[in-house]
Amino acid sequence: MLFVVRLSKAIKDTLTITLKEYRLVFRDSGVLIIFVGASLIYPLLYCTLYKNETLYDVPVAVVDHSHSVRSRELIRKMDATPELKVAVLFDNLEQAKCAFERREIHGVIYVPEDYSEKINRMEQATISTYCDMSSFLYYRAMTLATNYAVLNTGEKIEVERLHAAGIAGKSAEVSVHPMTFEDNILYNNGMGFASFLMPAVLILILHQTLFFGISMLAGTAREENRFRSLLPVDSKKRHLLQLITGKSICYFSLYAVLTAYILGVIPRLFNLPHIGQPVALIGMAIPFLLATIFFSMTVSVFMRNRETGMVFFLFFSLILLFISGFSWPRSNMPSFWLAISWLFPATHGIQGYLKINSMGATLRQISFEYISLWILAAIYFVTTLIAYAWQIRSCRLRTAESGKDAVGLSNTITTIN
Amino acid sequence: MFYKSRISLKNSWKREFKRISERPVYFLGPALVMIFCSVFFLTLMEEGWPNTLPAGVVDLDQSALSRTLIRNLDATAQTKVVSHCSSYSEAREQMQKGEIYSFVVIPEGFERNLQSGLQPAATFYVNDTYLIPGSLSLKDLSFMGHLTGAKVKQNILESRGITEENLQMAAIQPVAIDAHLIGNPWANYGIYLINLLLPGVMQLMIIMITIFSIGMELKEKTGPDWIRTAGNSRIIALAGKILPYTLLFTLLGIAMNFLLYRYLQYPLWGSMWLMCFATFLYVIASQAVGIFFIGLLPVLRDAISLGAFYGLLGFTYAGFTFPVEAMPPSVQIFSWLFPIRYYFLIYGNIALNGSPFQNYFLWFIVLACFLLLPVLVLRRIGKAAVKPEYLTK
Repeated sequence: MLFVVRLSKAIKDTLTITLKEYRLVFRDSGVLIIFVGASLIYPLLYCTLYKNETLYDVPVAVVDHSHSVRSRELIRKMDATPELKVAVLFDNLEQAKCAFERREIHGVIYVPEDYSEKINRMEQATISTYCDMSSFLYYRAMTLATNYAVLNTGEKIEVERLHAAGIAGKSAEVSVHPMTFEDNILYNNGMGFASFLMPAVLILILHQTLFFGISMLAGTAREENRFRSLLPVDSKKRHLLQLITGKSICYFSLYAVLTAYILGVIPRLFNLPHIGQPVALIGMAIPFLLATIFFSMTVSVFMRNRETGMVFFLFFSLILLFISGFSWPRSNMPSFWLAISWLFPATHGIQGYLKINSMGATLRQISFEYISLWILAAIYFVTTLIAYAWQIRSCRLRTAESGKDAVGLSNTITTIN
Repeated sequence: MFYKSRISLKNSWKREFKRISERPVYFLGPALVMIFCSVFFLTLMEEGWPNTLPAGVVDLDQSALSRTLIRNLDATAQTKVVSHCSSYSEAREQMQKGEIYSFVVIPEGFERNLQSGLQPAATFYVNDTYLIPGSLSLKDLSFMGHLTGAKVKQNILESRGITEENLQMAAIQPVAIDAHLIGNPWANYGIYLINLLLPGVMQLMIIMITIFSIGMELKEKTGPDWIRTAGNSRIIALAGKILPYTLLFTLLGIAMNFLLYRYLQYPLWGSMWLMCFATFLYVIASQAVGIFFIGLLPVLRDAISLGAFYGLLGFTYAGFTFPVEAMPPSVQIFSWLFPIRYYFLIYGNIALNGSPFQNYFLWFIVLACFLLLPVLVLRRIGKAAVKPEYLTK
């Protein structure tokens, strides 16, 4: 009986703390901007910016010294690719170079004088390409389009040559293509930039808004509480569990809604990959949110001011993005950084989300990420307990030192204010 | 008059250095962040291009030809065969787990069909969720296909009685590409990214620290003392406040340039002096943006949020990952509001292309124009500093 009374009291305490935390969050416009504002707006903004997914018709210049039927055919083929557009024809490379330097064009294709003759003489003709390397996507567009045009032209020439050698019909075709290779690009078959970047960014938005919001709450508490303590001075150690559970219920329930919006609605709205099963997505999101919440609560102990977190850790968003291995592959990361990356919920969150929602993996297939997230949640829960217990103790010590009499206490308060 | 303002400037500096020495983390912090980011990105992408990307094979043919295919794949520059699967679904599952980025399925009877002239087909599967390893794997797979195909082609033609002389001509590709990758001949991934990521982190830190150092005066209501020390001149007060940081970030920026372009030998066709001058302009333009934000919203937390939003957006609007002209036209124009955009354009011109000065001197002028921003908010900052009640909490 006593146990039931105690339990119901504990639950009541926890919910009181949850409500109090809700009030703190919704009264603080700064925190609201981060929790709700940033979570709502960032996905819309970034998805709009990257909406076009890839480059179409990158303008290039052509310098055709061959002036032949063959060279014109090659150029037409390149122009016909979705990637490139022949924007201008120049008489010499010098003019093309000037246009390139003015960024009017992002590549130059040079067909030499002997192009047609060499092919007719059964030799290998060479064309030159000059490519803008300031962005990976220019390079990719140029490479894809020129390779396609050259291979396609080459096959036609090969057939011509075989005809000349007396091999014709199906026989010639088999000789040119004794075997074929089919390319299948899985999961992101448009090779789109948004489909590649945005899933990682969405998880990062959840991670970072939670982190900065919780940091700001902690910093504010320190600025406003007596003795610059993180927790109210009257916090008791035996209420520790209720305190932490109560706060995390507040963050978790708020983020359950935001997560549904960011991971559920946004990918459908912008047609990002979304082939994940809801069960797997929810299964992954729960430990991810818990791990992130406890991670943030642990680190927030060190925030002295409202704004400290944002000033010094904003850059870390970039580190988290790259260390997650969405761009530079994890198989090629130095093992040191690989080990460090395991400490952050964002890493497992990004990898797990990519695998579930972009590649259709099940929870069983992402068991490494899934288990890691639960382990992190457990570890950071314990560190939060330790950190909060430490805070309560140091706060109690300070109270004991200065609060010997009422006069001393009020003096301290005035000096602090 | 001049003498007086010199004294005030000196006093402001003294006051600022005292503040910094009380909280050294606000001065050391940015330096540590820059050093950490340099070490992080440079060691993370140490290889330049990822080598030995894991790939799988599903060899249902088990013939001499299929083994040659696999050997050729393993021998390509960036792909390494790590897994032999017995079925398509097994390989797909490994791909979903992220263990391999690509695999090739060689169907049963591949070699037999080839010999009967039935044009058998092998299939490549590439995971482009990971765009970089995916694109590279596809490149290597296609290369392997051509390589093996060329050899087989030669054998077939030989068997048809094509003479030795003609055979060579048939074996070579009729048209070859001589590709010139301007400024980054190795297509090094680090050169794409790190040259802009590090300046990007720097603008982020500059904007945040500028907002923070001024905003703290307003927040802690030390503004009147700040302005008084500067002889009641707002310009001197601002100069005294931000010049120490200008010095810090300019030195950090120049150190970064020397690290990248001298020590690591990243491509730099133009002059190092100009590049460093561009870095200096970039630093003060970013500071100007920071001052503008705290002037616009003289409440520390609001200005910090605005600065964070803007600073992160800068990475996108620089246009080095996704070109600005590929964005929807209605949002393209905002790219002109970011100093990092001009830094990227100047960098491309000086470092990668080494193009003549007239092509980019305009961007230097635009960067300098950012210095007008603080003028717009000078009065507002002064007012907020002197009358703390001007703030709405």
